[in-house]
Amino acid sequence: MKSYALFLGCTIPARQPNYEISARKSLEKLGIELVDLDNMTCCAPPPLRSIDLKTSLALAAYNICLAEEADLDIVTLCTGCFESLAMTNSLLRDNMKLREEINGILSAVGKEFKGVKEVKHYLQVLVNDVGLTRLKREVLKPLDNLKVAAFSGCHLIRPSKYLKFDDPERPRIYDSLIEVLGAKSIWYRNKLRCCGGLLRGYADDIALAIARDKIVNAVSAGAECIATLCPFCFLTLDLGQMLIKSTYKEEYNLPIIHYAELLSLSLGVDPKELALEIHKIKIDKVLEKIGW
Amino acid sequence: MSTIRFMEEIRRRHGGETIALCYQCGTCTGSCPVSKTSDRYNPREIIRLALLDNRQEVLYGDAIWLCASCYNCQERCPQGVEIAEIIFTLRNLAIREGKIPKLYEEFANNLVASGRLAPISKFLEKKRAEYGLPPMKPVDIEAVNKIFSATGFLELFSRSKGEKS
Amino acid sequence: MEEIKVGVFLSDCGGQLSKILDFNAITSFVKSIPGVTFVAQANEFWRGDGLKIILEAIESRQVNRIVVAESIPKVSEVAIAKAVEEAGLNPHFVEVIDLKDHCAWPHRDSPLEATEKAKAMLLAAIEKVKLMEPIERAEYPAVKSVLVIGGGIAGMQAAEDLAEMGFQVYLIEKEPFLGGLAARANRFFPTDDCAICIQSPSSLKTVANTSRKCVYRSGISELPNLKIYTSSKVVKVEGAPGNYRVAIEQRPRYVEIEKCIACNLCSNTCPVEVPDEYNAKLKTRKAIYITTPLVYPPAYVIDEKACKFHECAKCVEVCPTKAIELDQKPKQVILNVGSIIVATGFKEFDPSVIKEYHYDEYPDVITNLEFARMIDSFGPTNGAIIKPSNREPVKHIVFVQCVGSRDRRWNPYCSSICCMISLKHAIFVKETNPEIDVTICYIDIRTTGREHEYYYERARELGVKFVKGRPAEIIHDPATNKLIVEVEDEILKKFLELEADLVVLATAMVPPEDAKELANILGLEIDSDGFFKEYNAKLRPTETMHRGIYICGGATFPKDAPTASLHAHSAAIKAAKFLMNGKIVKDLKVAVVNEDYCGDCEFCPVTCPYNAISLVPKDNGRLVAKVSDLLCEGCGVCVGTCPVGAIELKHLKNNQILAQIRALLSINGSSKPLVLAICCSECGHAAVDSSGMAMMSYPANVRVLRVPCAGIIQVQHILEAFRAGAQGVMIVGCKPDGCHHGVGAQKAQRKVELAKRLLSEYGVEPERLEMLNLLFIEGDKFAEAAKKMTELVESLEFIKLP
Repeated sequence: MKSYALFLGCTIPARQPNYEISARKSLEKLGIELVDLDNMTCCAPPPLRSIDLKTSLALAAYNICLAEEADLDIVTLCTGCFESLAMTNSLLRDNMKLREEINGILSAVGKEFKGVKEVKHYLQVLVNDVGLTRLKREVLKPLDNLKVAAFSGCHLIRPSKYLKFDDPERPRIYDSLIEVLGAKSIWYRNKLRCCGGLLRGYADDIALAIARDKIVNAVSAGAECIATLCPFCFLTLDLGQMLIKSTYKEEYNLPIIHYAELLSLSLGVDPKELALEIHKIKIDKVLEKIGW
Repeated sequence: MSTIRFMEEIRRRHGGETIALCYQCGTCTGSCPVSKTSDRYNPREIIRLALLDNRQEVLYGDAIWLCASCYNCQERCPQGVEIAEIIFTLRNLAIREGKIPKLYEEFANNLVASGRLAPISKFLEKKRAEYGLPPMKPVDIEAVNKIFSATGFLELFSRSKGEKS
Repeated sequence: MEEIKVGVFLSDCGGQLSKILDFNAITSFVKSIPGVTFVAQANEFWRGDGLKIILEAIESRQVNRIVVAESIPKVSEVAIAKAVEEAGLNPHFVEVIDLKDHCAWPHRDSPLEATEKAKAMLLAAIEKVKLMEPIERAEYPAVKSVLVIGGGIAGMQAAEDLAEMGFQVYLIEKEPFLGGLAARANRFFPTDDCAICIQSPSSLKTVANTSRKCVYRSGISELPNLKIYTSSKVVKVEGAPGNYRVAIEQRPRYVEIEKCIACNLCSNTCPVEVPDEYNAKLKTRKAIYITTPLVYPPAYVIDEKACKFHECAKCVEVCPTKAIELDQKPKQVILNVGSIIVATGFKEFDPSVIKEYHYDEYPDVITNLEFARMIDSFGPTNGAIIKPSNREPVKHIVFVQCVGSRDRRWNPYCSSICCMISLKHAIFVKETNPEIDVTICYIDIRTTGREHEYYYERARELGVKFVKGRPAEIIHDPATNKLIVEVEDEILKKFLELEADLVVLATAMVPPEDAKELANILGLEIDSDGFFKEYNAKLRPTETMHRGIYICGGATFPKDAPTASLHAHSAAIKAAKFLMNGKIVKDLKVAVVNEDYCGDCEFCPVTCPYNAISLVPKDNGRLVAKVSDLLCEGCGVCVGTCPVGAIELKHLKNNQILAQIRALLSINGSSKPLVLAICCSECGHAAVDSSGMAMMSYPANVRVLRVPCAGIIQVQHILEAFRAGAQGVMIVGCKPDGCHHGVGAQKAQRKVELAKRLLSEYGVEPERLEMLNLLFIEGDKFAEAAKKMTELVESLEFIKLP
């Protein structure tokens, strides 16, 4: 049984337990052990990097050190956490000077970054440790050609120089993981474009306009839902539709579902266990289609 | 204050090393989701202003806070300019001079207090048990704050606390 | 052994030098040196009565070694050496030194010290010449034939020049047809006339001599000295410059060129259809085909990958002249040539890797070359501008510049011709189809050549739109089948979504994929972008570090047709110059290997800038280095590289170097500590010359030793200088990226670093040793450095290495 140190980050436990629940349940069903380590702190995403780049590197490296000490690779759910930790891992492995600087800071807490563990996103775990073939077999309730607008968000694939996850212009991994569940990953305009989530709180009008574009493009292409990987994307597109309604007077009722939730549902997990009430836009139509 | 050129100041900081490579082709702005939606933000212009030493306008303006960190620009830049990192660098510089938006202040406060960007309420902790989730593991706040000390984060933050605009 | 008799001839430059230097003292000093049998003083010695004195001294057998103190030695020694040789003495027994620019002028404020330095300089020259061995002259055969690799316009023109000059020329081309890129490009800027034309040959009586001719009627294939091999590539090269044996492999054409009358019956009958790559796959062609009858040869060819051969053979049945031979085999031909010219051109970069432009996915995104095929009335659409996806007419065209050029991810350079190509196409569209809307998206518009700016003006006048901004992405709208180009108009600061039926990418120009392989076969250097590297970009743009092998045209860097022509003619002249006497005559100022010492470490073959050293097996199984006398240029970089001193220059042996060092430092005559400056005879020595010519001042304790290249210096030489009494040592070479022998200045830098470390171990201050990289025009820097070094060593304790 493959074990990983689960890195939850800040947003999922604080706002989206539905993501955490479905991730834990699905990975458990697939035979992946998730270990909760003590002392994991914030991954140091853009809001912290904006204040000080060095501090963010140090904080991210601190988290990686905890995993190194437990001799476990890290798996993240939030793609923002993935980008922050994987980029830090990559940077500090390749840049000796930077690594020495950061280890100097980490020595204040008795830690040393060695670069011996990997940082993965749970999609990588699905592809590499479970494999598409086995995953297909485990699917109990295929998604009946559900038209899914796949939206991985920015930080799963960019910056590709450090993340090396998938082709940044023609990514296929996420789409194939959706299709293996029996759904259809459809084309829609500007599929890889950002949702604008990180502008929320500073420039809400712009953030909302960008989110609205995304919803409109998905709906125009005939999507029955948008499948997300990032809690910020989820928030922006799910809660965002309430704001679009009040600001633009437009109602789309497009379900926004985390991939982990689709995965859990297709693996046969009862929707009642998945805290689906957290979704602002109800996903009943999708559940019906799948046969729940 | 500093006597070196603004461009040089940026170049010497981690993240800003590549700024002088820019030849103003506009691929970044063309790839930017925020630029397409609003003319308050134009990454090419920010870099141009920085290269022409318009320190005031860049650091004290509103534009640098509008980047959504999607990294599309950096991905496509033909000269390898790390635009998203440069925006972070510029924000770092702005905050050092006391210009910090309220939102980021809140983030920093939460981090110092709880080691998380957004605190987890007692209510949520209780809900976790209901959902069948394991209880949250504690954060080593002491360690986090020691790191903040070692990098000067605490200092920088408390300095700007008193001077925010 | 003949007794060595040295004659010393002191020119006092019309009496000017004797005002500063004490010639009496110098003369009596020189007379006292053992081996000197004759001393004379005159106004000048390099011509007139002065030269006669030297010649008489030789003829009367009073002297058999010559030292001359003369003005501008680098010029005067030419005349002196020539005269000496005619008088029957080996011209390399002459050493000319400069008491004017290296002594009297820079030290005019301290005449006594200058005189002492003059004595040391003469002593050094005398000691050098006493140890000089005779240098022989060798002759090598130069076969008067040339191989030209590449049948584009550069290759064809170079071949034509040489054939008309009387050389036997072999022109080989890897495609089945000559013409290269020009055959596909349709028209060339800025004249907008045919691309596929070359200079008119002047020797064919039935061909009118005009400025230029279409290739098919130029008669190039009829030039008596020119043999053309199409479908051919170079496989191996052996031999030496002047006498190469080149193996070429010719793939079978399956059609006899002389019999084919290009009637098209075979093509009509052929059942096999494949995408036509020549025509950018905008149409199909048959397995037996001709690309264009406009060039040579006007004969069909069979695509052996597509043809079914004997399973079908329908074409054989219908051919009226029985020209088709399905059983042809590849042929190997060995050519004996004196010289090789590489004219392999360039090709378009494949923009599929720039995924955001979707070149590989959207058929309506094409390259400039593909567009050129489209507008060619002989081309796949008969000149109609249509959307490849559905063949419908086009209303909006958007050109995207710098696709893969000026891009550090792919090709960091500017490909130089793409702006003009796009302008050419845009102008053509507006002139023939004014209703089509044309926009060019650019980073910069580069129109630098003659008449090029007017081209840009014409485009603007015709209403071509220009958007300053590099497109971020090209999107396809499946509903309308239109393309959308997302770009920021930087000048308006507006985000645009340009609608287009056709997007034309102005892609970078890159070397052909087999350039590297050819470079390996020929032993040529290629630069970091994959283009063939020339010997010197400014002054020897079509030569390489390999004498006998030349490069021209787009093979060295993308260029337009006029420049490619220039290049071609230049390469032809260089090859002709090399071979015209039918022999290569060379004075053997070369490196020699002492095989007993050679440890076959492989350092020198790898370092030699001229690839003149190879390793050969000896009877006992050992490998030893062997120097090619023909290729060696006598620079001495190998001498500096060899860790065991197993190689030395015939014209500057180790004992000669040491003798000069000791002689230069044997007489001081000043209160200052001695400094030795070892100068390369290119920029280094020239900088010393210029400091004297410009009458700069530096102290006379600075002594100058001339070596062919700074690369000859070993750490040993530096230590010997200190042992011989130098308190400071300066190594003066060319700029690191401008070393006349390529690598010498960098090698010298390494030696200096090593020597500094060693000196520190000895307890000697490393600042006593320094390396300078100067140009001729930086004589002031030499004088400055000489003064500074003197001041430095004055402030330090006197040292004497054991």
